[in-house]
Amino acid sequence: MNNEKKKLTSFIGGDKIVLIVAVIAVCALFTFLNRNFLSMQNMINILVASSLVGMVAIGHTYLIIGKQNDLSPGSLAAFCGVLVAILLNRGLPIPVAMLVTLCAGAVVGLFNSWMVNQIRIEAFIATLVSQTIIRGFAYIICGGKPVAITNQSFNRLGTFRILRLPLPVWVMIICIVIFGFILARTRFGRSVYAIGGSAEAARLAGLNPRRIVTTCFIMIGVLTSFGGMLFAARMNAGQPAANVNLEFDAITAVILGGTSFAGGVGSMFGTALGIILIQSFNTGLIMVNVDTFWQYVARGALLLFALTSDYIRETRRQKALLEASMKNS
Amino acid sequence: MGSLLEFQHISKYFPGVKALDDVCFKAYGGEVLAFLGENGAGKSTLLKTLNGDYQPTGGTYLLDGEEKHYRSPHEAIEDGVSIIYQERQILLELSVAENIYLGRMPSNSFGVINSSKANQMAQKIIDDFGLPIRPTEKVKNLSIAYQQMVEIMKAYSRENLRVIAFDEPTASLSDAEITSLFDIIRKLKDEGKIVLYVSHRMSEIRQITDKVAIFKDGRHVGIYETDKVSDAELIRLMVGRDLGDIYSSLDKDKQIGDVLLDVENVSSDYVKPVSFQLHRGEVLGFSGLVGAGRTELMRAIIGADRRRTGTVRLNGKVIENRSPKEAMQNGIMLVPEDRKLQGLLGNLSVAGNIDIASLEQNSNSIGIIDPRKEREMAEQGIKEFAIKTPSMDKKVLELSGGNQQKCIVARAVATNPQVLILDEPTKGIDVGAKSEFYEMICRFAKQGLGVILISSEMPEVIGLSDRIIVMRSLEKSGELPASEATEDRLLALGMMEESGNE
Repeated sequence: MNNEKKKLTSFIGGDKIVLIVAVIAVCALFTFLNRNFLSMQNMINILVASSLVGMVAIGHTYLIIGKQNDLSPGSLAAFCGVLVAILLNRGLPIPVAMLVTLCAGAVVGLFNSWMVNQIRIEAFIATLVSQTIIRGFAYIICGGKPVAITNQSFNRLGTFRILRLPLPVWVMIICIVIFGFILARTRFGRSVYAIGGSAEAARLAGLNPRRIVTTCFIMIGVLTSFGGMLFAARMNAGQPAANVNLEFDAITAVILGGTSFAGGVGSMFGTALGIILIQSFNTGLIMVNVDTFWQYVARGALLLFALTSDYIRETRRQKALLEASMKNS
Repeated sequence: MGSLLEFQHISKYFPGVKALDDVCFKAYGGEVLAFLGENGAGKSTLLKTLNGDYQPTGGTYLLDGEEKHYRSPHEAIEDGVSIIYQERQILLELSVAENIYLGRMPSNSFGVINSSKANQMAQKIIDDFGLPIRPTEKVKNLSIAYQQMVEIMKAYSRENLRVIAFDEPTASLSDAEITSLFDIIRKLKDEGKIVLYVSHRMSEIRQITDKVAIFKDGRHVGIYETDKVSDAELIRLMVGRDLGDIYSSLDKDKQIGDVLLDVENVSSDYVKPVSFQLHRGEVLGFSGLVGAGRTELMRAIIGADRRRTGTVRLNGKVIENRSPKEAMQNGIMLVPEDRKLQGLLGNLSVAGNIDIASLEQNSNSIGIIDPRKEREMAEQGIKEFAIKTPSMDKKVLELSGGNQQKCIVARAVATNPQVLILDEPTKGIDVGAKSEFYEMICRFAKQGLGVILISSEMPEVIGLSDRIIVMRSLEKSGELPASEATEDRLLALGMMEESGNE
């Protein structure tokens, strides 16, 4: 039988190849509808626009593999944008303001994990709680009005270019590489996969699922905070109403990238492709003048598509396992 | 005459397990057919396949010559096929009548329920059954036995009831209650229903059943008339071969050393205080009924559940074991009972499963894993335990149940434990693989490990252990050397009713 060959395409390569094909197809479609889509400037625009979603999606990759979730990043990114703006306008030096804001992100992550670990609330609901609370605080600390950032050197962080790519894009790429390495090659990364497979089994095998979950939540908090600050720098302002639905795009990217909601399965490379795919899609919709309201519908449809393919992948996986075990037993 | 139920080439596969394999037989109305087999032989799976809870992987079943494909238990019930489970499936807050006619309460043309009519109809059935309960009584106020009767009446109230199956119905009934249950089973039988009866209790099978269908490792061995086979023969058919030989050929030549593990008054929310000692090189068996607190005691020892009282000493030194991780670092490792939920990491490969407890050992100080060390460890585990797998990168779920279990044992042994706790290590594993585990256990003891073996299979405990502790109702009820242990004695210690407690 051509078993080995089949395994190669269906288990590792298969999903990613489909994804790469999907990216190409989306690009081809939008290029057909609008010549400018494939221009260098537009490609860079896509990357810039994806930088915040990308940071959040990195965190979500860990969480979803570990069978958790987080709905608070949209609020948190906005809150952190406002917070850093206020701190800078009070005259704090950039590193200090940023460090304080990163700590705020970590505290939110800690709070989320506390709800999940200690009061045993489902992550979905727990982070819905923090989503609302944090959005509230984003408005409270600025009195409901956007805060313009007067510190020009900070604002330059959002637009400063290295090799034509703005800094936020570099930050995202570097984070993908670093966190991809951690996920694939370290003790911690392996533990995340293990708790996603079965938290109880992992605990009896000597891991500490609670600590792993806590670390994942803190990580996504810090990543979101960092992304939110760079976003504010790009906008030259902290906006309390910004970044609504951010987690929606991030989760879509992660699921599109082949990470399973069932937990225990996924990779950072897949997420990277998912980020490119969803941002190409979103930018493309704008470029071909799809009505804003219909864009919502289209994004919802994309997530539905991602979930459906996740479901199909999962059933196939189960079926493949079943067949294999029938042969082996 | 009554109905006819035919199973034709039914098979059901789960990842790693052939739960049913080409099962063919017939059951006739007007007789009680027992399902007999070891744990995991496929009796309950067959019932669940019959009533649409599971879909068969292959094969069909026919009821009165008509092929059936129930997609849910609900569909089966509507078609006259009901299963009475060990766990009650009734709504405690509703009345007896409401439970019996749940979902089809008599109502007028506006859909308004006519309770008094329902109560009258229920009363008729209750009288039929000769029970002293009122149709308006809330089910939660009834005893367990009567709750079960309500379930049976619910099935019986269907005009078209043809098949009724009982899955270990007497597990929580007293003798008097069992007698009245049997009266009802006889009544059902006399009315020409097909009655299927799953039980482990030989005396009940003798009392109530006409024929016995024997299952072994998912296969149907045959149907025998109950009063024409002896108990010994039934057991031989169930087990497939004489296990006595396996035990006597084991290499039990070893030295039992000093006290290794000293457990003193350990308790948790789930188990009462228990004390025992485990010596180096000793296999200490834990016998008792399911739910007697054996697993819970071990979980308290390794810190999987919070310990309420007591101390644990390893080599004379007090150890805390606040979590399974701490227990592992102290050298105590548990191979859990529920392989699927507590043992396996189904998403990981064979290697991933073997290596997961040794991440610290296989990585450097900042946590980066050394793939070479991991592969070496996995390779060694596969070799040492003769794990049958095409490669270490195969998903662990692709292996057979026995080989999956070996991966988990390999994982535990890779951490170099001094005490190894095996909780039902051979559950759901075929006989061939079982003997491999037996040799393995003896080898561990010979190497000087202290082995705790929890098993519900009494020959296994007796054949492997040096000493046996019996638990009952969440505490220790006896302790005896294996040489003095017989199945009767273990049963007596494990099952005897506590006087004046209930």
